[in-house]
Amino acid sequence: MRIAKYPFAVLSAALFTVMLITPISSISNLIWLNSVNMPIGIFKSLEVLLFDFQRLGILLYGIIIIGFGIAFSIASFLTNYINFSVKYLYALAGACAIGIAMYLMVVLLFESELLGGNRTIIGKILHWCAGFFGGYFYYFLISKNYDYTFIIRYLGVLYAYIILGFVLSWIFTPEIAAADFGFILKELTDNAQNALLRDFTSFFVASFVFVLLGVITLNPAWFYSAGIIYLGAAIFNLVAIFIHGTEYNQIYIGEILLGLWPISLALTISIKDK
Amino acid sequence: MKLFLSSFLILFSMHSFGAYKYETVLDNLDDAWSFVFLNEDTILYTEMPGKLKIASLTNKSIIDIGNVPEVAYSSQGGLSEVILDPDFDSNNKIYISYSAKKDNKKITLYLSSADLKNNELVNRKVIFEANAFRRSPAHMGAKIAFLNDGTLLLTSGDGYDHREKAQKLDNHFGKIIRINKDGTIPQDNPFILNQNALSDIYSYGHRNMQGLVVTSSGLIFEHEHGPKGGDELNIIKPSLNYGWPAITYGIDYSGAVISPFTEKEGMEQPLFTWIPSIAPSDMIFYEKDVYPELKNNFLITGLVSKDVKQININDLTTQKSLFSDLKSRLRNIQDSPQGYIYILTDGPNNKLIKILPK
Repeated sequence: MRIAKYPFAVLSAALFTVMLITPISSISNLIWLNSVNMPIGIFKSLEVLLFDFQRLGILLYGIIIIGFGIAFSIASFLTNYINFSVKYLYALAGACAIGIAMYLMVVLLFESELLGGNRTIIGKILHWCAGFFGGYFYYFLISKNYDYTFIIRYLGVLYAYIILGFVLSWIFTPEIAAADFGFILKELTDNAQNALLRDFTSFFVASFVFVLLGVITLNPAWFYSAGIIYLGAAIFNLVAIFIHGTEYNQIYIGEILLGLWPISLALTISIKDK
Repeated sequence: MKLFLSSFLILFSMHSFGAYKYETVLDNLDDAWSFVFLNEDTILYTEMPGKLKIASLTNKSIIDIGNVPEVAYSSQGGLSEVILDPDFDSNNKIYISYSAKKDNKKITLYLSSADLKNNELVNRKVIFEANAFRRSPAHMGAKIAFLNDGTLLLTSGDGYDHREKAQKLDNHFGKIIRINKDGTIPQDNPFILNQNALSDIYSYGHRNMQGLVVTSSGLIFEHEHGPKGGDELNIIKPSLNYGWPAITYGIDYSGAVISPFTEKEGMEQPLFTWIPSIAPSDMIFYEKDVYPELKNNFLITGLVSKDVKQININDLTTQKSLFSDLKSRLRNIQDSPQGYIYILTDGPNNKLIKILPK
């Protein structure tokens, strides 16, 4: 548990920082939309924030994990040689990691600013501040000890966070969600559209709710339920390919991962509870 | 009689349902971006790094044109579109669009006219400089077309980082521009009396427009790249706002929401949207007779879809996919004076392909 504490602190601090950074782009966008008289209300704002937290957040999460991993390793090394408050050293390392990551994103993407919220000076400062607080949060996490339920809950929340994207997409932008699965929605009949939307939405909402219930109750049955759904999808994907002759795809790999992930959490709880 | 009938049926089915055949007429081009026919055998074409060339399609000879302006070649920028003056036969005048650096080191879109004489551009003159300066040449637009009244339209893209400016009339980001051939501004432009607007703006609220067609009846059609999803085909009318980025059917490449709205009063709806994106790169409206099945259809090349979308002007709700067996990103499409269709593939070492009728 002691060894696992550091990587999970990086993952948790990165997730915390994503929660701070994502609204910068969302809110700056909402402010602009309001300025051109678009009818932005509470529900539209919530829709934008949720979508951005999930879809933009996933991209940022990957980038920030790498940045934090490097920055906190260097900061940890420097604590042996620099007489400086350790918590502020990690906070500064977090700010530097975000600053460099944002700079590299522009340089590597044809000098274009992918993050809308990072196009102004104020936006840039807010991103650095988010990194600073992310570093501070990392120090807070590594200075305490946790039992295995911390990791179970963390991995459960991360799983739900990934599934949330599918849930939001199928509820609010079904045409785009369907396109991701190879359907051109408007070319289907009304009945086919209805069947597609209700079944896919229900599929993702169910697995999302199961995992959240698992995180709250730590009852392994909820994690098993989510896992069975995705392992079933993987098995019948392969049946469709090899028995019914549909075109080969590699989606089953993702489905197996999404199936084994919650089942691993459930097994861990079951073993620890014995 | 039976033999005659069956022979007729076989011939008929080959004609109606046979595949198109292709002939590569030029290859190993250096990122060629657009071309125009000087006659049935000869094309004038641009290469993004800043070359303008004349090529013979039969003997494959290629001639470099001199005195081409210096361009900012990187990302989506460089020497872009070339078109001929409607009176080219008598005045030898051509028009080219390109991205280049201004004194302030920032990049913007230019439109120049010049006379093509003895394989040189002479009397070269910048007739338009976009008030759309950016640090990198992204989303330039750069398509040119003549209206039937002899004025010029030019598409100026939103610059990616500057998308919100597409809704403001004090700049050229995300605008279609209308000017006279000498660069002056037509007095009947829609914003000529608006003191808060640039008077050369024809329509606004666009993203990255890479298809621009004026039909023989004078209708203007344009298509533009959406973000992730939401490519659009629009009919263009003066002074109208096409909504970007306040309304859109797509989301940002990062996954972020650009706008939760797809419609608003005072903003135009597209005639057709592509979800997922096809990345439309060029368009013609085919009005000739070599391919009767394509007459009165828009033919739209796709970079991502790697095909040509066929949309009939009388049924804008459905599309067909053509030439997907080329399996290439397609950059440009033109019809020759006789009516043959030629397609330019995309990227370095690209090629020009002639579509043979069925």
